[in-house]
Amino acid sequence: MTVEERSPMQFEGIRPPHIHMGFSKDELMLKTFLMLSIIAIGSSIIMGINALIHILTALGTVFVIHTLIISFQKWKKKPVSYDSYTSTLVAGMIVGLAMPIAGPFYITAAVALVTVLVFKFGQNWLFIRKYINPAAGAKTVLLGLLSIMLFWEESLSIGQLFHPHHLDLNLWTAEGFEASMWIFQRVTIFGRDLSATASLLFWQTHGWIGGACGILVLIVGSIAVVWLRYKWRIVGSALLTMIGLAVVFGLIVRDDILLRISFHVFTGSFIFMVFFMATEPQSTPLPEISQIIFGVALAVITFFLQLLNVLGGSIFALVLLNLATPFLDKIGFRKPYGFKSKKQRRSLR
Amino acid sequence: MKSFKEKGRFEITLGIKESVAEKPVKIVPPAEIMSVYLKQHLGVPTQPQVQIGDSVKFGQILGDLEENQKVYAAVHSPVNGKVIDITTQKNPFSNKVEQIIKIQTEDAKTNQVFEKLNPETASKEDLLNRVKKAGIVGLGGATYPTHLKLGTPNRITNLIINAKESDPNTSSDYRLMVEKPDEVLKGIQVMAKILNVHDIIVATRTKEGMTPHLDAILQEHGIRVVRMRPNYSIGSEKLLIKEILGYEVPQGHYPPEIGIVVHNIATVYAVYEAVYEGLPLVSRGITFYSEQTGGENLWVRIGTPIEHIFNFLNISPTIFEKTIMGSIFMGPSLESLNIPIEKGTTAITGFSKDRSKPYADEIPCIRCNYCNIVCPVDIYPQLIMEATKKENVTLLKKLHVEVCIDCGLCSYVCPSLIKFTPYLLKGKKLIKT
Ligand code: SF4
Ligand code: SF4
Repeated sequence: MTVEERSPMQFEGIRPPHIHMGFSKDELMLKTFLMLSIIAIGSSIIMGINALIHILTALGTVFVIHTLIISFQKWKKKPVSYDSYTSTLVAGMIVGLAMPIAGPFYITAAVALVTVLVFKFGQNWLFIRKYINPAAGAKTVLLGLLSIMLFWEESLSIGQLFHPHHLDLNLWTAEGFEASMWIFQRVTIFGRDLSATASLLFWQTHGWIGGACGILVLIVGSIAVVWLRYKWRIVGSALLTMIGLAVVFGLIVRDDILLRISFHVFTGSFIFMVFFMATEPQSTPLPEISQIIFGVALAVITFFLQLLNVLGGSIFALVLLNLATPFLDKIGFRKPYGFKSKKQRRSLR
Repeated sequence: MKSFKEKGRFEITLGIKESVAEKPVKIVPPAEIMSVYLKQHLGVPTQPQVQIGDSVKFGQILGDLEENQKVYAAVHSPVNGKVIDITTQKNPFSNKVEQIIKIQTEDAKTNQVFEKLNPETASKEDLLNRVKKAGIVGLGGATYPTHLKLGTPNRITNLIINAKESDPNTSSDYRLMVEKPDEVLKGIQVMAKILNVHDIIVATRTKEGMTPHLDAILQEHGIRVVRMRPNYSIGSEKLLIKEILGYEVPQGHYPPEIGIVVHNIATVYAVYEAVYEGLPLVSRGITFYSEQTGGENLWVRIGTPIEHIFNFLNISPTIFEKTIMGSIFMGPSLESLNIPIEKGTTAITGFSKDRSKPYADEIPCIRCNYCNIVCPVDIYPQLIMEATKKENVTLLKKLHVEVCIDCGLCSYVCPSLIKFTPYLLKGKKLIKT
């Protein structure tokens, strides 16, 4: 009997590798959700029940929309875009944390709806990938539209991008800047009045929900960057650039440098956005140098938008840079093995 | 050590190695019918030197070529027997149908085939010629003919012996270090004489005290032992050089061109056997492992069908859904069990159903960047995949797909369970055309 006759077992030829690390997209999303939940708890303690309602509104909305979409897809026997809810819940959480505490709840629900419907499922359906961060895209489009409805009396305060309160601020001079800090000087905890700097670092009752405690975002964000391997170059370059700009500008106009840094870096719209929106995998570049360009540009644009009183302007900057990502993906490559500098090469014999 | 970490802190578990490494080597007797491929090396196939019906002796040449053909290595009969067929069969390593000689085994006897050489008195040419006649190839899996590497016209200043055994499913090199230390030293000395090199390094992932005898005799002979961090990726020749000597081999060039030669420790042992014992390369050490059965270190003759090894180990192959030949990162999975052990086979691993297709549920890329972070040669597998899909040759060239060493780490870490191999292969092909 030949070996062939004695070996009836046939296996399928499967290409290598044959083992996998075992870390799935769902695990990545769940861990991101966990990190965001810590910030949500902190923000709800600082900003109160309204913060929690915003967050739950966003989460509830994305859950319902996701369920409706996949039920529709199943009913129509179409391929289901996202089987798992994990990334949708992360998007919902980000929407909740990226809304200003002063905004109406229905706006949060509307942003959450647009996030999932248009910028998550819609982008995926049209382009098979997300070019724009869903929450940032939804916020920019919706709040931008609301803001320009000038025929509507409340348009600016509902749109919240150019809030009427902000339009009077003058951040270009030392005096104007100091006078503008009244928003952060109204905080009293445990019977003590916090300085504007302390409030920006620890206890903001104004602005984006996710940035209520700047230090908490910094700590949780840093843990997430290391633990979940977020694109740290974006975070690092954006933070360093923002600090650098704040210092230089502070020196030029001669005001309180620490307060300048705290304001530009720790306002919720920047610190939260940098850690949890600017690192969104799909809409940000892959090559290392491009990530640095992305981070630097993000900080520069945000800084000048802040000076122009568009205090949530980081979101514009992010959308703009998201759109530049396909181009940034074609530049900024590191040198591969065998192409490194002469120093690392031994001469050929 | 339970696991080791790759670039980006990605972890690879060493459960397999741990469970097998301390088991002594068992010798597998030859099978009733042995199957020997005529091409078991990098290069051109050899031509059959026997005919159906011929009687063959242990160590007799089965496949060879004219001298002027450059890259090849002769193949020899692993048994005394009779040629019953010269046919073709798919070779899992090349994924091509290749010529194979089937031999009915008459007995399992072995004998000295070549005259023993004394390396002290033998000339470099004689030693090199012996390595060539013995059909030795790189036994770490690369299978480049060893006589060509040793016969390099370049001036060599460093000889690195790769005893790092990076794959998580192999431990046969470690067994050589434990069980054959004196032979290993002699093999290194032969290589050093041929290359006329004095700076010799043995690169190992073993800890101090794990191979005391080998460590002692190496030290006695002025051979450095470099204990390395136990990454999987730095087992590759080029990365090993960078890790130890700090040099990169310029792209498009080979290590000898910068004065460095790297040989696997199993190849060293084969050189010892060829020179001191007069034996051609007809057997090698492998590691078998499956979760259900545990593992063994085995000494097998080249040409032994996998099915015979299962029989020897009293294992029913039906318990496996998939059987891998070689590295679980880079080796092929077998379509049939009549595939024989080749010179480049380092291991056999059986996978049960629940672990046989870890990449079955692939989803679209989420651009997490993990694959790019882990890539040991600093290219961008994700961008290469995209460029390959679009057949964008200009971008593929810019991304230097040709630098890829096929380590499989990008797939290993991908949370979307994407298997990059087809894209990388196609990308490499595209830039060539
Ligand atoms: S690891 Fe997978 S999911 Fe992540 S970027 Fe690479 S291909 Fe995409
Ligand atoms: S297989 Fe190639 S592209 Fe993937 S990690 Fe290894 S070297 Fe990099």
